[in-house]
Amino acid sequence: MRLTAITAAFALTATAALAADKTLDIGVSDALTGGGAVYGLPQANAVHLAAKEINAAGGIKIGDDMYTLNVIAYDDKANPTEASNAVRKLIDRDGVKYILGFCCSGATGAVASFIENEDAVMLVGNAAERSITTREISNLTRTRPPADYTGAAAGTFVAEKGHKRVAVLGALDVGFYASYVDAFEKELNKAGGKIVSREAFGLKDRDMSPQLTKIRGQEPDAILVVGYVEPAAFIYRQSVELGIDVPRYGFTSGSEEQFLRVATSEQMEGVWDLRPTELTLLSASDNGKAYHANYSAEFGIAPSPSSPYAYDQTYALKDAIEAAGTVEDTAAVAAALRELSVPDEVVMQYLPVDGKMFDENGQAYTSNGAFQWQSGNWVFVQDLPSDAAAYSAFLSTID
Amino acid sequence: MTLNRTFVFYALALVGFILLPQLIAVKYYLHLSILALIWVIAAQGQNLIQGYTGYVSIVQAGFMGIGAYSTALMGIHFNMPVWLSITLAPFVTAFFALLTGYPSLRVKGHYFAIVTLAFNMVIFIVLMNFHQLTQGEAGITGIPKPGGREGLLNWRDRETYYYFVLIIAVLTTILAALIVRSRVGQTLVAIRQNEGLVGAIGIAAWKYKLFAFVISAMFGGLAGAVYAHYQSFINPEIFGVAQSLDAILAVIVGGSGTISGPVIGAFFVVFLPEYLRFADSFRLILYGLVLVLATIFMPRGIVGVTSDLVSKWQSRKK
Amino acid sequence: MVEVIQQIINGVAIGGVYVLIALGLTTVFGILGIAHFAHGSISMFGGYLTFFFVTGWGFTLLLAILVSLIVGLILGFLVELLAYRPVRNASHINAFIVALGLTMMVEGLNLEFFGHEQIVIPTNLSRVFNIGGVTIPELRLYVILAAALLIIAMTLFVEKTKTGQAIRAVAENRDAAILMGVNVNTIPLVVFSISTALGVCAGVMVGSLFAIAPGIGEGLVVKGFAVLILGGLGSIPGAVVGGLVLGITEALAAGFISSAYKDVIAFVVMIGVLLFRPQGLMGKE
Repeated sequence: MRLTAITAAFALTATAALAADKTLDIGVSDALTGGGAVYGLPQANAVHLAAKEINAAGGIKIGDDMYTLNVIAYDDKANPTEASNAVRKLIDRDGVKYILGFCCSGATGAVASFIENEDAVMLVGNAAERSITTREISNLTRTRPPADYTGAAAGTFVAEKGHKRVAVLGALDVGFYASYVDAFEKELNKAGGKIVSREAFGLKDRDMSPQLTKIRGQEPDAILVVGYVEPAAFIYRQSVELGIDVPRYGFTSGSEEQFLRVATSEQMEGVWDLRPTELTLLSASDNGKAYHANYSAEFGIAPSPSSPYAYDQTYALKDAIEAAGTVEDTAAVAAALRELSVPDEVVMQYLPVDGKMFDENGQAYTSNGAFQWQSGNWVFVQDLPSDAAAYSAFLSTID
Repeated sequence: MTLNRTFVFYALALVGFILLPQLIAVKYYLHLSILALIWVIAAQGQNLIQGYTGYVSIVQAGFMGIGAYSTALMGIHFNMPVWLSITLAPFVTAFFALLTGYPSLRVKGHYFAIVTLAFNMVIFIVLMNFHQLTQGEAGITGIPKPGGREGLLNWRDRETYYYFVLIIAVLTTILAALIVRSRVGQTLVAIRQNEGLVGAIGIAAWKYKLFAFVISAMFGGLAGAVYAHYQSFINPEIFGVAQSLDAILAVIVGGSGTISGPVIGAFFVVFLPEYLRFADSFRLILYGLVLVLATIFMPRGIVGVTSDLVSKWQSRKK
Repeated sequence: MVEVIQQIINGVAIGGVYVLIALGLTTVFGILGIAHFAHGSISMFGGYLTFFFVTGWGFTLLLAILVSLIVGLILGFLVELLAYRPVRNASHINAFIVALGLTMMVEGLNLEFFGHEQIVIPTNLSRVFNIGGVTIPELRLYVILAAALLIIAMTLFVEKTKTGQAIRAVAENRDAAILMGVNVNTIPLVVFSISTALGVCAGVMVGSLFAIAPGIGEGLVVKGFAVLILGGLGSIPGAVVGGLVLGITEALAAGFISSAYKDVIAFVVMIGVLLFRPQGLMGKE
């Protein structure tokens, strides 16, 4: 009798041990330092936050097993070589199969060029270079839409405002900014408008008065500013200093704080930002507000507008793993990602294609919005006309 | 006797390198070793102009970029087989080195260094902006390996590439050694020690300097080409001034003006960041501190310190 | 016509910054023969420090600048004593490499203490003057004036004071200067301190008119050397002319030709001058 009891007790503990807590290591490769850190560090934080929430709710459930997430983050400094090293370290040395983050296009492109041959799944966040999702890489997905998808919507919007002569000042040496402008131009041309000049500036430039003086001489009826927030803030300020008085549209992202460091609120008044409907407090969904509060509490600073791309990635990964029923079979998880519907916990507002979060290229689409600076805040004004399904079809035709 | 000892040392080192892949347990360190060997090629080049001729150039990464983009673009536009484009890349680089070397070598010392740095920045800016050719910041993807999965060697296997790069690194090191030991090499050292005197004897120093500059650039171009086919992706980011500073660091720390110095320096430059997984700012501070301290206290690098220790030990034996 | 004048005015402000940086470089390079590459990063440190004093400790702008200047003087002193003096008698390459190492260290320290986001020194000067269609913001005007004052002060110092003359003596003939009783150990300290003080001023100007962020210092120092080469080594008027020419040329080129390759101009100028007139516009043969 006692033997059976002991055996039974043993068996029970054994099953309990087998169904015990396991750990799943997930990796983050992002710009934690350097110029890209304004985008990369918040993403890494967002993954940590999501993982913490998932663990608090019990973890990822597969059969009887509960997996606790453990995040291993490496700094790629927005540099392609460092990113390749970071990812190889994660895969070869740390045995990680799921890699998130990826804020910056150059570094992401480098990893995307070899990830297909690895036993891993790559989830891309803020990196906006279109070619990342045109190469038919089955184990790669991206939550942030390519820049030209937003550019086209922006072009339609600006055309509807009646502008016919738009001057562009952009970081045109960067592929995705240039593609935004190209797509913008196409829509503008359709409505009979045109781009009267394309001036350039670089990441390190802070004095765009020469370019703005030239633009002033051309007397456009609107200006489009496309590029990084840090120099862009100077463009907005210097445009006022030079007496340019036409509507200013932009694609820069950036928090109120980043702009106010450089320009006064009066100088920013009326500036538009035409971008994916990223996180702005005044227009966030309930998830967004909760995310904002939780992130601020956890890290002592407000989340950046683009950080939810990484937060949402983590929840998408969780759902995909649970749907595939395995943590080992990366091909199955990658396939599950493609079949996923939009998870409940996401912050960004996705437009599903065929009811799914990611289209056949692994690309997700958020809505695009027109934001305007009003009295010191970015205010959501309206949706930009965007057609996710049409763009998705277009994306599939590119190699 | 000394010749034999040096020979034994090099032979042992070579055996060590050949066996390395078998000794490494974690694949990741094999990846780093391949990168280190690529840097050996670049550092040997840098050493020729900096260590032997005494002209610190800050453009080696730029030449690596030219080599990398040449091989990638020749493959894409002319459908050239990999072995051919890798072979031609150093010559394309040589052409650009002639263009940049000629004005640069008209000045000396600091001026020379600054002008080469300016050229590095020009190369970087052109690579970034000349979209039609280079695809700018997005870079070039899908650069093929020297062979496919079929055929004699499995190029998908990292080990194969390691031996490929090892052979090239060994050959370039031997080439560097030959140059250094030749008449040309002695002239270069003479230029470093007293350029005025060299001119006074009637030797056209500028020809030798240009030769050293171009050869050093070709080494860089070769390193870049090999890198391109390994990583399968290149973009301008890694061919900027910061990487040229790495080349200088490798030569200084390893041992300026020696043949084994660049080898040690290259491994140092690639492996040290791995062990400094602090924030980027610490790495910068530490790197800078190493440069300053090494220049003040160890101007002959690790090789210099080692050979000093060895001769002290030898003299004690007597 | 208005556009041309506007572009020239645009260029003068940044040209003034280039002049200051070049002055800091030319004093060290001309007198001590050291290519003080770290000058850009150290100047930015001065700007960062001023920002910190104003926003962190609530100093007024003038007090913050004053304190930063004093810190700059001490820093220049230390840099000469600890970093460059040990390699004074070694080959020139060593000094250059020490300079590179210093640059990395200062950039790293800046990153560590001040972060990676850009900073702007707040000045509350936001009026804009409009003269016949040419606009000039108040702050830009003050920067130009301040630069001019500093240049005049520097020239007076070098020409009229005893220390200034001693410095020039060392530059012309070190051995003779020693024989005449000039203390050749204190001169480098003085030179570096002055150079760093000028750098701090440049840093404050860049920080208030534009922004300071990682990497900006390096870009400025390369332009500074371009000005040096353009104007002629060791020549103060050369630095002034060279800096203004570079600033205005950049603005005109960006305005009338292309803004994409604006930075390349400095390098092309440098290379061109070295090919055709290596002693610079105003240097001696």
